[in-house]
Amino acid sequence: MMKRGRASRGRATSTRSSTSDRGGIRKRSGAPPTKTDRDGDLAMGAGAGAIRGQRTRGGPGRPTPSGRTHALDRSINQIQKALSTSGAQANIRQGGRGGPSEQVAIRGWKQSKAASNRDGGVESLIAFLEKKLTPPDSKSGPRVKINKSRVEGDALIVSVRPESLERMLQLNGFSFAGAPLAVEKFDQASAPLLNSVPAQNGTTPSTADTKAKMTAILGKRYYQDSKLLDLSKLGTDPDLVAMGIFGTTSTESKFFPALMKVWELNFDNTTARREAVESVSLADNQLANITVVTTLSQTFPDLKNLDLSNNNFADAQALIGWRWKFRKLQFLDLTGNPFSADPTFKDSMLKWYPELKILNNTQVRTDEEIAAQKKTPIPVRAPHFHDEGQIAENFIRAFFTGYDGNRADILNGFYDTTSTFSLNVNTSAPRALQTEPAPWDPYLKKSRNLLKISHLPARMSRTYTGVEKIRELWTALPPTRHPDIVAHPEEWLIECFPIPGLPDMTGQSSTGVGGFLIMVHGKFEEDNSGKVETRSFDRTFILGPGNGVGGIRVISDVLCLRAYGGNEAWQLEPQPAAAPPAAVPAAAPAANPAAPVGYGLPAPGKTDAQVQQEQLVMQLSTKTMMTLQYSELALSGNSWNMEAALKNFQELKTQGQLPPEAFLPGATA
Amino acid sequence: MAPTEDSYAKVSTEATTEFVNSFYPALQSNRASISTFYSTPPSTIVFNGNPVADGNAVQEIFVNQMPPTHYEVQSVDCQIINRQYPTVTVGRQIDPRKDISILVIVSGYVRFGDSRDLPQRGFSETFVLVPNPSSEGGGKGKRRKDWLIQTQNFRLVV
Repeated sequence: MMKRGRASRGRATSTRSSTSDRGGIRKRSGAPPTKTDRDGDLAMGAGAGAIRGQRTRGGPGRPTPSGRTHALDRSINQIQKALSTSGAQANIRQGGRGGPSEQVAIRGWKQSKAASNRDGGVESLIAFLEKKLTPPDSKSGPRVKINKSRVEGDALIVSVRPESLERMLQLNGFSFAGAPLAVEKFDQASAPLLNSVPAQNGTTPSTADTKAKMTAILGKRYYQDSKLLDLSKLGTDPDLVAMGIFGTTSTESKFFPALMKVWELNFDNTTARREAVESVSLADNQLANITVVTTLSQTFPDLKNLDLSNNNFADAQALIGWRWKFRKLQFLDLTGNPFSADPTFKDSMLKWYPELKILNNTQVRTDEEIAAQKKTPIPVRAPHFHDEGQIAENFIRAFFTGYDGNRADILNGFYDTTSTFSLNVNTSAPRALQTEPAPWDPYLKKSRNLLKISHLPARMSRTYTGVEKIRELWTALPPTRHPDIVAHPEEWLIECFPIPGLPDMTGQSSTGVGGFLIMVHGKFEEDNSGKVETRSFDRTFILGPGNGVGGIRVISDVLCLRAYGGNEAWQLEPQPAAAPPAAVPAAAPAANPAAPVGYGLPAPGKTDAQVQQEQLVMQLSTKTMMTLQYSELALSGNSWNMEAALKNFQELKTQGQLPPEAFLPGATA
Repeated sequence: MAPTEDSYAKVSTEATTEFVNSFYPALQSNRASISTFYSTPPSTIVFNGNPVADGNAVQEIFVNQMPPTHYEVQSVDCQIINRQYPTVTVGRQIDPRKDISILVIVSGYVRFGDSRDLPQRGFSETFVLVPNPSSEGGGKGKRRKDWLIQTQNFRLVV
């Protein structure tokens, strides 16, 4: 359970967010400013193993020995970046064209009648401004659009094209929904960055100093044992008050993103960061909306428990930025918020958070219900892996080891002059939570995504046929590391089945030969100038008989790359008495346990017709779960017509004329 | 005269994009036509590890069991598998440029259900397309499909 502070339940009225000194994380009591002189480390005692506190030991303001200065500089740069860009977090509407634009601050609208709208009147104010900015006599000219705006305290900051600036400033004093507007140019310099905020002792702290203080604050509020980050009652934190965080709306909106950045900088890798915190409390912060704390969902996407009690969230709109975020959230406390009384409250939260179990201390979902809703209309089953004589299995094992270790060997072993390789990048694929998509530069120029590459010459040049061309491309592609198939079967989903109609290298068969279609889904790691990126891939091979290792060759090899998407999608859905998942080819259930090695595959002395018949038999066996003998009987009795054989099978099955021994062991007749 | 590389590339990539542009919309909003996309008999059809008998069975599943489904195709690629696919035509001569089998790879996302709020599930789908041996149309007034699904494997991957 989460630690919480409920000391001050009494809350002010809901009008507090409507004045400039209210809203957001705010000081509550007049705690005397205390000059802090803390060490920069996260003070977490023995548990600091995962935290990179040592980096700033001795105080970040001082040069550090043993070459750590560079790392420190780099992290400071990142903080500065976070501080100077974090204002964007507060944007409620973004987009539109680039180019130079002027910022204008509009005040006074919070006293208008529109302020009682769901969004506080922002939407109608923008519409009002757009209308006023469009000259009434310009029938031909386009309507002026305000594409970028944000709310800072009582001001709406909008960006307008320079040519609209003058007209915009003339709106000063205009009446909007019963209230006069104050319009003035918004000067960036008047919105100081956090690192230049004069602290209450009159000095201007450096960024490094700010970072040290934030690190100390985080250390004080982090409970390693319970994995809780307690960010409740920030407004009364003497250290924060001393830093002058709550002096202006601007510094306040930048404080939280900067705090999150400082937190992230203390971890060497995302895994450690993700595992360090399961619970966050933002209780008792007088938040009217999540604008200033929205980055929480980026820093802690896997959060299980979130305490937002005793704030001022009035409706779903106040939390809208966290809709669909926190996909693992199980516990949510919004008691002491007006929103809890909303009739749509429970339904909305259940919809937003698929794993939510406890809402406002009441159970709203059972584990069974959560399991049930994960089901897809097409149930997720074990891989369909129908190998023959371990041909596909041996190939897959050899391929991925070789592709990581020595691509030339793989090419020489399995590819020939007509083997074809191409790759395509799905740059917008759904991805796992909290994965920052790695840049696609090394691949995009080779990507043959037909939705994007429409010119025939480009489509042709991005098809690589023959060992030499493929070698040239593979040499240029970044080195990869795929997880070991045996040690990490859960990372792989491999399917395989026979297909007919492949080209015959010997030219003897006019009807084509049989082979395998293999589909592999998984992930790999890639060294990108020192940084390790993880990507997901889907790779489809067609293997046919040939002169390569094991008498096979690769006919087709298509690689699709996408952002890391995890492996949850192919984990089997919980079923009563579920069979153990079988993701490794070796462990995959053989569909035709009775099929002898080489059955369905070309072999010396075997006619093409025979191979085709064997393949038909296997197909029918797969579809009906009948044994090979009975499948053969059904096909030969129906002139080797699959459709007729299937129909025949259905009739006999319905009439109960098929004996139990007609079916494969374990099949439910 | 053997077809040129250009014409093979043109035929295969155009067949692929046309197939993708008609098959996924059919899964969404024209389910009664699903079976017309499949060759008879097909080779293998598998959805999430579940083997499906043929195009009629696929259509039956989509008509009777599937909620409204929104597919978003994000990446597509193809390769020619066999330039002399053993098409047994009925009552017509096949254009040699089109007597090929095509491997089609699709990556995208699918949303099961009406609401836009439902999660986007990443999928990867592999098809083998073969020439339609028949000169018959796909029914009254329907345009005849040049390519049919011989093999299909669908997997949710995200």
